[in-house]
Amino acid sequence: MPRFDTLHPAWMVWEVPAPAPRGVVLEQTQELNKFLAEIERRAFRMAQVALRDPDDALDVVQDAMLKLARNYASRPSAEWRPLFYRILENGIRDLQRRRTVRNKFMVWLPRPKDDPDNEAVDPLDSVADGGPDAPELMMRDQAMQKLEGSLRALPARQREAFMLRNFEGLDVAETAQAMGCSEGSVKTHYSRAVHSLRAQLGEVW
Amino acid sequence: MQENTQDAVDSALESRSRALFQDSVDGLDFALRSRLTQARHVAVGAAGTPVRARWLGMPWWQPAAGVAAAALLGVALWFGPHSGTLTANHAVTADGQTNLEDLDMVASSDTGSGDALEMLQDDLDFYDFADKAANAGPAA
Repeated sequence: MPRFDTLHPAWMVWEVPAPAPRGVVLEQTQELNKFLAEIERRAFRMAQVALRDPDDALDVVQDAMLKLARNYASRPSAEWRPLFYRILENGIRDLQRRRTVRNKFMVWLPRPKDDPDNEAVDPLDSVADGGPDAPELMMRDQAMQKLEGSLRALPARQREAFMLRNFEGLDVAETAQAMGCSEGSVKTHYSRAVHSLRAQLGEVW
Repeated sequence: MQENTQDAVDSALESRSRALFQDSVDGLDFALRSRLTQARHVAVGAAGTPVRARWLGMPWWQPAAGVAAAALLGVALWFGPHSGTLTANHAVTADGQTNLEDLDMVASSDTGSGDALEMLQDDLDFYDFADKAANAGPAA
């Protein structure tokens, strides 16, 4: 009578792909590193705008980088950008869903901001002091906060379309690929987003 | 004319928001940049090594066996330990009738056929006769 763990050990083993030529792998790795270095900060800020929490944003970006590298590194580098943002947006959506569920069913758990171990962030800490541009920096900071608030108020798809097109500079086709929708939908979402933002920020700006 | 003005306003909003966003990106602190760099190195190090879900390599019969085992356990729990208790407490018989209903039927009198308890006594006499006949062996 064979033992249970000797019946089919195959499912317990990580699958290892066929090795690629060494030179190809090195070149691919360098290119991937360059690509991720180029987008990582913008991706983080976009995630932070959507999620508010910097730790959550960092987790989502890290996860997206890992998934892209593991699953799509061998794809042509031109495809990486929309693929990466698609993974990122899915991650953001998943996290928001989890938050919703957590808030519904586990309201007694302390949220990160309610955690007494986390010190409250003083907004004055983020303001540069002593420099000649301090007032201008403060104004920019306030304008950015206003913009972030308006972006968060948008429906998710409109926010995605606006950030991918305007902040990340993706064209309509790439944005459609990243969002998993048609180019016509991208145009509609983007147009509505601009309209809403103009209604909210137009007077201030 | 009004459309051109609106386009110009939209364009100004887009360029202003883009500039603000880029400023906020440039203003990320060193600690955060460092963490992003670390995350990137981890990702690049893992390039081309997809992690397959463990259940994907599982033989086809294992999920089926799991479901069957769960179903069997459910049946055993439902009918096993409770069945005796239920029968005793609620007097449920195999054909779904309760013993109370049987007792009521037996105890009730039928005007056309006499007392039901007398019928039961007749049956007991018959079973006693049949038992003796069987023990006596075949007739000579």
